[in-house]
Amino acid sequence: MSHSDKMWVKKDLPVRVQNLGFLLLGVGLAAGITGLFIDAHRFMMNYLIAFMLLVSIGAGSLFMVALEYIAGADWSVPVRRINEFYAASVLFIIILAIPVLMNMESVFHWAQPQAVSEDKILKWKAPYLDTTFFIVRILVAGGIWSLFYSLLSRNSKTQDLTKDQNLTRKNIILSAIFVPIFAITVSVVSIDWLMSVEPHWFSTIYGVYFFSGSVLASLAIVTYTTVWLKEHGYLHPRMTNDHLFSLGALLFAFINFWAYIAFSQYLLIWYANLPEENFWFIQRWEGGWMIMSILLIVIHFLVPYSVLLSQPAKMDPKRLKFASLWILFAHVFDLYWLVMPSYHSEHSTGFFTYILEFGFPIAAIGLLILLFYFKTKKNNLIPIGDPKLDKSLNFRL
Amino acid sequence: MNIDYSKEDIIVSGRLSIAQIEDLIAKPLETKVDKKFLIALSVSVTALMIGAISLGFSLLYGTGLWGNNQPVGWAFPIVNFVFWVGIGHAGTLISAILYLLRQKWRNGIARFAEAMTIFAVMTAGIFPIIHTGRPWLAGYLFPYPNQHSLWVNFTSPLIWDVFAVSTYFTVSFVFWYVGLIPDFATMRDRTKEGIRKTIYKVFSLGWRHSHRNWQHYEKAYMLLAGFATPLVLSVHTIVSFDFAVSIMPGWHTTIFPPYFVAGAIFSGFAMVVTVLIFVRKIFDLEHLITIDHLEKMNKIILATGMMVGYAYAMEFFIAWYSGNQTESFVFVNRAFGPYAWAYWIMVSCNVIFPQFFWIRKLRRSIPVMFIIVIFVNVGMWFERFVITITSLHRDFLPSSWGYYRPTLYDFGILLGSFGLFFTLVILFTKALPVVSIAEIKAVADDAQPSHHGDH
Repeated sequence: MSHSDKMWVKKDLPVRVQNLGFLLLGVGLAAGITGLFIDAHRFMMNYLIAFMLLVSIGAGSLFMVALEYIAGADWSVPVRRINEFYAASVLFIIILAIPVLMNMESVFHWAQPQAVSEDKILKWKAPYLDTTFFIVRILVAGGIWSLFYSLLSRNSKTQDLTKDQNLTRKNIILSAIFVPIFAITVSVVSIDWLMSVEPHWFSTIYGVYFFSGSVLASLAIVTYTTVWLKEHGYLHPRMTNDHLFSLGALLFAFINFWAYIAFSQYLLIWYANLPEENFWFIQRWEGGWMIMSILLIVIHFLVPYSVLLSQPAKMDPKRLKFASLWILFAHVFDLYWLVMPSYHSEHSTGFFTYILEFGFPIAAIGLLILLFYFKTKKNNLIPIGDPKLDKSLNFRL
Repeated sequence: MNIDYSKEDIIVSGRLSIAQIEDLIAKPLETKVDKKFLIALSVSVTALMIGAISLGFSLLYGTGLWGNNQPVGWAFPIVNFVFWVGIGHAGTLISAILYLLRQKWRNGIARFAEAMTIFAVMTAGIFPIIHTGRPWLAGYLFPYPNQHSLWVNFTSPLIWDVFAVSTYFTVSFVFWYVGLIPDFATMRDRTKEGIRKTIYKVFSLGWRHSHRNWQHYEKAYMLLAGFATPLVLSVHTIVSFDFAVSIMPGWHTTIFPPYFVAGAIFSGFAMVVTVLIFVRKIFDLEHLITIDHLEKMNKIILATGMMVGYAYAMEFFIAWYSGNQTESFVFVNRAFGPYAWAYWIMVSCNVIFPQFFWIRKLRRSIPVMFIIVIFVNVGMWFERFVITITSLHRDFLPSSWGYYRPTLYDFGILLGSFGLFFTLVILFTKALPVVSIAEIKAVADDAQPSHHGDH
């Protein structure tokens, strides 16, 4: 590595990034908390959406880090740190879960003892849908993710200084152990925190559905960050649009993967038309939800699919920035679509509350920006000690 | 073990020159058949003949010769169909998906795997047609305006299968042929005179290895890979719909599509490894299809095996969680009922044995991987058996419960399907270059300037 390569090491991000983070966090929290005073039940469910957004980006990013190691990918090395920074949000999962855990009965129908006693199916499920066991599960999942995040990122950071190849080897082993555990934990968390919002409903594909969305969301935020950093000269000058192509292609692949999983789930339930399952989709086809369901297909599939279909589009920085922000919004929309039909209001709260509903997700994005900002203060933006870095920077399509 | 991660992977070992590679691959086509070839061919043709005789009797006397009964109406034919279609998936995954993922190591094995896809789909296609009992009426599977006003049931996934599988076969075949064109040209240029030269000439479509040729070729190849990728996923997805759109407990579950696709890739890779172990040895291709290749495939087997295991576990969990009595019964019956033996063969072969591949030494050892991939082949056949038979033999009405026993004719036809597949594979090794000459040259040492110069 030559001396000129050092120019991008430890360059501070502008303060406006920090300001933007604080602004979004502040405005978002203010809106969300105002909402809590208007309709606590509804805004706790909103909080759940924001919480799951952070879970999906944290766990999804951690998965992408692990995937690079076990797949032996080269091209992604210069952007891996960005993934690592966002993956740090898994450290906050347990803390951020507390507000929900304190309001279990408001969010989860099955957590109300009276509801369970009147309902045969909920009684049957009681051994699993049990508040204590539920808390244990999120503690275990959050704990495991934090552990693997700490180990993987520590090795990666140490490698910046030592350039020790053994650390790559160690991280490959860690990643190989992590991925199967991730598959189980992410399924359990998605069943617990999203599927059980409608406690009678069940679908075996649900874990895969959430996985596809969470990888997509973390890819989107990483793509946006990469393009932004590259445009502002924070990434390595030898990084070209060819590197961006892979991000664009992965985004495109996961858009299709999500659509495939969503379609499979829908078609099978629609076709069999069993009342024990189809009520979930009927709920999402009643009243205003019909428009939301159609919009979900447009927003989450048709638009990003068309935007990223062509080969030049996948490496066009402008296009990628648009697509990744769009997909991030689509993911929040998807989470909203998964959670909110289970909210039943007795009284109309007006248009103002709809606006406030953006609060918690915006706060979550603010939190991610701040997390990223503070991570860059202490760490290199590129894993400069990674043995694959040079090979990676030579990468051309 | 010390791996230098900063170096590029070496795909062709032994520092072979471009000319040596070409000679090596062309050798089986330019030498006379030997004893080994004839023995292998006669074994597989014997199997094929046994199948043909079993099938001949079945057509003569009717499908009553098979074990299919009430309530198990779907038996061996469906099991074998799903098994063989699944085998085909590895080929397209290697040739198209790994190509789009820029996995250069796939260049050494893509041709062979894709040929296996085509043969496996051909083998698979036989079963639904004979299962209809009157295969001579198979033409009605295609919707066309006819004087009887007979139309297919468009809402049935079985008819989607007809479209999906035939489209898949066509695209796979075209993709395979397009990949073969430069190699046909190479063979044409190597051949002196005679009928062989004429055949190569015709099939090489006037290929001149010019820049223009390559430019068009690359574009066509990329597009076909892009077409083949959703197709391959759609095929096994629709095969899974055959089961999952019904309201049969044990069949109707939403995870079926990705679970079937993962299973198909799993079984297909096992079959590819099984065959390549022999091919690389017999045709001296150890430098082109290296232990590294096999190791990578074994890793994919490990990964997809765990995906399949995830699906088993998730089905079991949701069967309980749903609170649906019949669903829970079917799963308990699978694991502890009359077909428990088949279930545990499936679980141990598909989920437990592949775990040995966690250990690097074992996934790089030829005897060990051979044993494990054979287990996987067996296990994946049993998976389809378990899904089909256990759900049917005890359905909603206990008075009509039954037990299914295959007959000798069922086994004969199953054996025959292996015979057909391996006969085609063996003939292929003598008829066409088993490794893509053009593609392997692109990843040979001489084609990698970065191996030598430092940056």
